Amino acid sequence: MREVSIIGVGMTRFGKFEDRDMKDLGREATWKALEDSGVAIKDIDVAYVANAVGQQLTELKGTIGQHVLTSAGMFGTPIINVENACSGGSTALRGAYMEVASGNADVALALGVEKLFCGDSAKSAQTMAAGTVYAKFGFMFVALYAMQLKKWMAASGATKEHFAKVAAKNKYNGSLNPYAQFQKAMSVEQILESRVVAEPLTQFMCSTMADGAAAAIVCSKEIASKFKQKQPISIAACELVSGTYNVPGQEHEEITTRAAKKAYEKAGVGPEDIQVVEVHDAMSPAELRMYEELLLCKPGEAGMMIDEGHTALDGRIPVNPSGGLAAKGHPISATGLAQIYEVVTQLRGEAGERQVKNNPQIGLTENAGGWTMDDNAACAVTILKK
Amino acid sequence: MTDNRVPIQEGLFVEESGKAYLLGNKCKKCGLTAFQKTPVCPTCQVPDTMEDAKFEGKGTLDSFSIVQAALPGFARPSIQAYVNLENGPKIWTLITGCEPTEDSLQLGMEMEMVIDKVRTDEEGNELISYQFKPAGK
Repeated sequence: MREVSIIGVGMTRFGKFEDRDMKDLGREATWKALEDSGVAIKDIDVAYVANAVGQQLTELKGTIGQHVLTSAGMFGTPIINVENACSGGSTALRGAYMEVASGNADVALALGVEKLFCGDSAKSAQTMAAGTVYAKFGFMFVALYAMQLKKWMAASGATKEHFAKVAAKNKYNGSLNPYAQFQKAMSVEQILESRVVAEPLTQFMCSTMADGAAAAIVCSKEIASKFKQKQPISIAACELVSGTYNVPGQEHEEITTRAAKKAYEKAGVGPEDIQVVEVHDAMSPAELRMYEELLLCKPGEAGMMIDEGHTALDGRIPVNPSGGLAAKGHPISATGLAQIYEVVTQLRGEAGERQVKNNPQIGLTENAGGWTMDDNAACAVTILKK
Repeated sequence: MTDNRVPIQEGLFVEESGKAYLLGNKCKKCGLTAFQKTPVCPTCQVPDTMEDAKFEGKGTLDSFSIVQAALPGFARPSIQAYVNLENGPKIWTLITGCEPTEDSLQLGMEMEMVIDKVRTDEEGNELISYQFKPAGK
C-alpha cells in the first residue's frame, strides 16, 4: 500500500440555501478543493461522491455524483456514488484513499453533497427518519440520543451543566467559523434556558437541517510535491466499521471505540498523540461521550475535560474547533468531509481566528451514521498527520 | 371520522383471546431472541437457525425519553423507550398510559404491553401498534 496525502480541501458555507441546488453546492466545494491543491479537474483519476437523501428530496433521482460533477466540468472519469447516512463523507474519503493507496489511481476526489431544504420541511424530517425501521412509529433520533445520554450521565457523573458547557464551547467556535450555519456565541445559561427538546437536551444543544458540500483531493505521497504550494497532510488511517448486534446482558463495545482502536493501530499512534479532533455531535453533549469512547480520557473524566478547558481552542486537545454539527450545521453526507476540511486547515495553521493554539501535528475525525439493530449503522475514524 | 383500526405494520403483534403478543423469532442454536424478526442470528451468523417466537408483553423499562418534538402527523410530546422483555430481547417502543413527565416513569419498573393508537392517518384510519404502559395502571 502506498502512502496517501490530502493536498486540497474545500467547502461551502453550511446553511439554508433555497436558491442553490446540489450541482451548485458540489461545484463550489470541488472547485475550491481543486484551487487549494493546484490539481486540474482533468487530472482526477477517480471520484467518490457521497449523498444520502438527494433522491428523495431533490430532482436528481440517481447517479447523483455524475450529475453534480459534470456540472463541475468532469467528464469520462470514473465516479462511484456512496450512501452511508451521516458517515457518507468519510466513506467517500475512504474510497478515494484506497484507490490511491492501492496504486490504482494517483489523484482522487472525495465529495460529500447534501440538500435538506426542499421547500417542505415536513418532507425533509420524514426522509431523515426513514432510514430506521421505527420511522412509521414517529421514531426520533433526538430521543435515542437523550436515552443514551441519560444512562451515560448516571455512569459517568456528567451533568446537564456539562452538556451546556460543551454546547457553549462549540457555539463560540462556530461564531469564529465563516462556514458555520450558526455564527453566534451563546452562554451556558442561554443554552440551559432554551426549549427542552428531549430531557436533558435543549434546543441549542441540537443540530438542525442544513445544505452544503465539502471536498478533499488526495494523491500518492510521492507525487504530492508535483502540485502546488501547500503542505500535504498524510492520511495515517481511514477506518470504517459497521454496527454490531447488542445482545442484552453481554458486553457491547461502542462502535466509536471499535473504529478508533482500528485507526490507532493502523496509524501507529495512541490517543495521547492526538492534538486536534472533530467528532460527530449531532447533539453537542454527545461530544462528551466521544472523549471517553475515543479513549481521549478515562471513563468518568469527560466532565473534567470540559470543566478544565482541555478541549477548548486554547486547550491541550481542542475538540470541534469548527463548532461541531450543532453550530457548523449538519448536511448529512457533507459532514464527514467538512470534518476533514477542518482538521487539515488546523494542521496547516490556516484556521484564522479559530486556529487552535497547541500547534497540532496529528488530528482525528469521528463520523458516525444511521441506526440499525440497536447500534449505529456505520462509523468512520480518520487520523491525519502533518 | 371512521373507526377503522389498522396495524401500523403487519406481522409485529397478534391478539389472541384478548391477550396481545409480540411476533419475533428465536435462534434454535444459541437461544438469542429478536424483535423485530431477523432472518439470520447475529451471534451464530449461519442460515436457517431462526424460528418464529411469540413474546408476552411483559418487561422492565430500560430507558425512556419524553420528546417535545415530533414528525409531521404525530402527536407531541411522545414517550419513546426501550423495554427489556421478560424471556425476550430489548425492544424499542412508544409508551402510553402515563403522564409525559420525568417522574411518572422509573428505570427498571415493570411494564406491560397494550395495543393502542399511534396516530390517525390522512385517510382517517387509526394506526395501531404495540405500546407499553406501567404495569397495573
